[in-house]
Amino acid sequence: MRADRVRLIVVIAVIFAAFLALLWPSKGQTYKGLAAIFQRIPLGLDIKGGARLEYRVDVEQGVESPSEVVDNVWTVLRNRLDAAGYTEATVRKAFRENNSFIVIEIPAATDTTKAEKLLGSTGVMYFGQVLEESQVDPQTDPTLKDLARVKKAEWLPAREGKIWYLVRQEIMLVKDLKLISPQIVTASPVPETRAGRFGYKVTFELASKDAEMFKKITQQLVVPEGSIGSAAAREKRLAIVLDNVVQFAGYVISVIPDGKAEITGNFSIEEAKQLAAILRSGALPVRLEKVSAGWVAPLLGSDIVRTSLLAGVVGLIIVFIYMIVFYGIQGVIADIALLYNTFLLLGVLAATRSILTLPGIAGIVFTIGTTVDGNIIIAERIKEELKAGKSVKAAIAAGFGRSFITLFDANLTTIIAGLALYYFGTGTVKGFATTLIIGVLGSFFVNIVLSRLLTDAFSSLIRKPAVEAKGAQQ
Amino acid sequence: MMHMDFVGKRMIFITISLILVAASVISIFTKGFNFGVEFLGGSEIILRVESSTFVEADVRRIFNEISSDFSSARVTRVRSVGDPEGVTKFSVTVTKTFDVTEKDALQSAVEKKLSDSKVKGQVVSFNETGGSAAEEIRRLTWRAILITLIAILVYITLRFNFVFGIGATLALVHDVVITLGFFSFFSYELNVPAVAALLTLIGYSLNNTIVVYDRIRENMKKYKGKEIAATVNNSINQVFTRTINTSLTTFIVVFVLLLFAGNAIKPFAFGMTVGSVVGTYSSIYIASPMVIRWVKIR
Repeated sequence: MRADRVRLIVVIAVIFAAFLALLWPSKGQTYKGLAAIFQRIPLGLDIKGGARLEYRVDVEQGVESPSEVVDNVWTVLRNRLDAAGYTEATVRKAFRENNSFIVIEIPAATDTTKAEKLLGSTGVMYFGQVLEESQVDPQTDPTLKDLARVKKAEWLPAREGKIWYLVRQEIMLVKDLKLISPQIVTASPVPETRAGRFGYKVTFELASKDAEMFKKITQQLVVPEGSIGSAAAREKRLAIVLDNVVQFAGYVISVIPDGKAEITGNFSIEEAKQLAAILRSGALPVRLEKVSAGWVAPLLGSDIVRTSLLAGVVGLIIVFIYMIVFYGIQGVIADIALLYNTFLLLGVLAATRSILTLPGIAGIVFTIGTTVDGNIIIAERIKEELKAGKSVKAAIAAGFGRSFITLFDANLTTIIAGLALYYFGTGTVKGFATTLIIGVLGSFFVNIVLSRLLTDAFSSLIRKPAVEAKGAQQ
Repeated sequence: MMHMDFVGKRMIFITISLILVAASVISIFTKGFNFGVEFLGGSEIILRVESSTFVEADVRRIFNEISSDFSSARVTRVRSVGDPEGVTKFSVTVTKTFDVTEKDALQSAVEKKLSDSKVKGQVVSFNETGGSAAEEIRRLTWRAILITLIAILVYITLRFNFVFGIGATLALVHDVVITLGFFSFFSYELNVPAVAALLTLIGYSLNNTIVVYDRIRENMKKYKGKEIAATVNNSINQVFTRTINTSLTTFIVVFVLLLFAGNAIKPFAFGMTVGSVVGTYSSIYIASPMVIRWVKIR
């Protein structure tokens, strides 16, 4: 049986890889024994809980529509989490005593500081005008403090190095010529191509609603390239300020009419990436004030998760027994196939670090269903072929051959539905679709390869019971 | 071997299905759904208890005793950085919103219940909260559903033929509508796990239908010229043991879950239980007979 030898090697290699992914040592080993299998599968909020952060949205008095501001904050935070791959995190709005809050829950995060970092800056971003710079801390120098008062500006530290910039929001003191919380559509590092320059530059694009304001600002601040460095030009530098820290300060060398701009500065790739990330992270329209940071237990309730898990295991054991009672040796094969596919699926989830939520578990339950079903289809078909008078060997070959077509169509239709769900779904729906697709592919593999291998191996046990059982029924 | 007549009385079953679908649609549009808090939002009550042995079940019991509004409340433990030892905080979320007097009444009722159970504790905050998963279903629009159905239709048309495609998609719609109808009629909460059950049903319904169709396709080739109704009936009979065994094994798992699983998972188990029955029924009595009618017309 050459084919079976190949099957055996494939089956062992696949399950070995799955266990490798599951049991690869990771930091913070907390589970022991059987539960160690779940060590590397990040569990969702509903099952395991996670970090919980609560922020007060600092909406200023007299803002026209505060709810719109809160909605904007919600969107920005949601986008940041999605971009970081945390589609399973939840962001919700809350209200009490005339204050708006945002509650964020992040699965598989035990470190609240890390969770806060993931969320990014909670401050406001704006484009400002640099009037002066200083190498000494302005707080220690009364003349510098006076200068800030006179110029109606503010001393802000630079992101790196001991430099302070005197920044004013209102550009050239023109009334309302300021750009706070610009909406930046894209920002990315691009290799520098112009002669005499090297490294990387950053290109970014503003949303059309902010492009006009940016055009006016650049009209005010533009300086001819020749005069860069002169005293007059130094007062016309543009600063990108986030969280009251100057992220970048530089000259405007041309008017930007359409919101499409680039920042050159012979950056290293790292610097360029960082600056692009700052621009792209999206600005919050208002400041967020942290109310509390902490943890949340499983959202479904730890007790509910426990009883449901127990119920699932009880149900599975009944299925195991049912299959053995009804199908004998082929029932045992079905049970082995079922266990095999479950570990295979868990291995893939661990390897891809997919977050497992309850809908994901629904996908696993479905997978168990298709694996059992596949084995039932094969077993029934073999029975039929035996009844038609074929030898055991021929019946197995014909049974698997014909079942292949059945399973192929049944599984592929399910996968098409799964792909559609994956494409249109978000968050947990996506999670469900992922486990569904992986699980159905796995069940197809298990039914065709593993079940065939085992059926061939135990074919001597099939003949008599199957034929006799048929005879008894007729 | 038993030989049952599945297709002979197909008109009766099609009528039953039409009635069920109509009843479901009526219930959905008049009674509507009991949406979960993750979709609708509502109120979040943060309860602080000075006890480390107080658990979710105790909180759930207290709130249930106060009002039946809390029967589907989510209760979960929360902890903030810097909370002292021996203090447990719970977040209780319900779809209901409360006005000021109701809040006060609830607050004192909860605190009284707590002191009855000899634990110190109070309601520390009372939030109105938005849904966290509203976005999840927002993108599952009619367009998305339509495209999904068309993709399935195209695949089945390629592998079988157009008539089978129509049969399978109609059976799928039939199953989902009736299951939704059950959710509406029995006021089961439609929450994220319930949506997962509905999604699972899609796979289950298709899988069941395709297995029967596959046999019909095989027999149509094998016994060319034989009357289509007889072929379909034979095919259903041939795969009947498989249908029953597969459905029973699925049913066992989800039914045990329905019996024993806690509140928040009940809607999931309910959807799966209803779905496994409806999905099996439709593959035998709806999807297959539909093919007969259409093949005849052609």
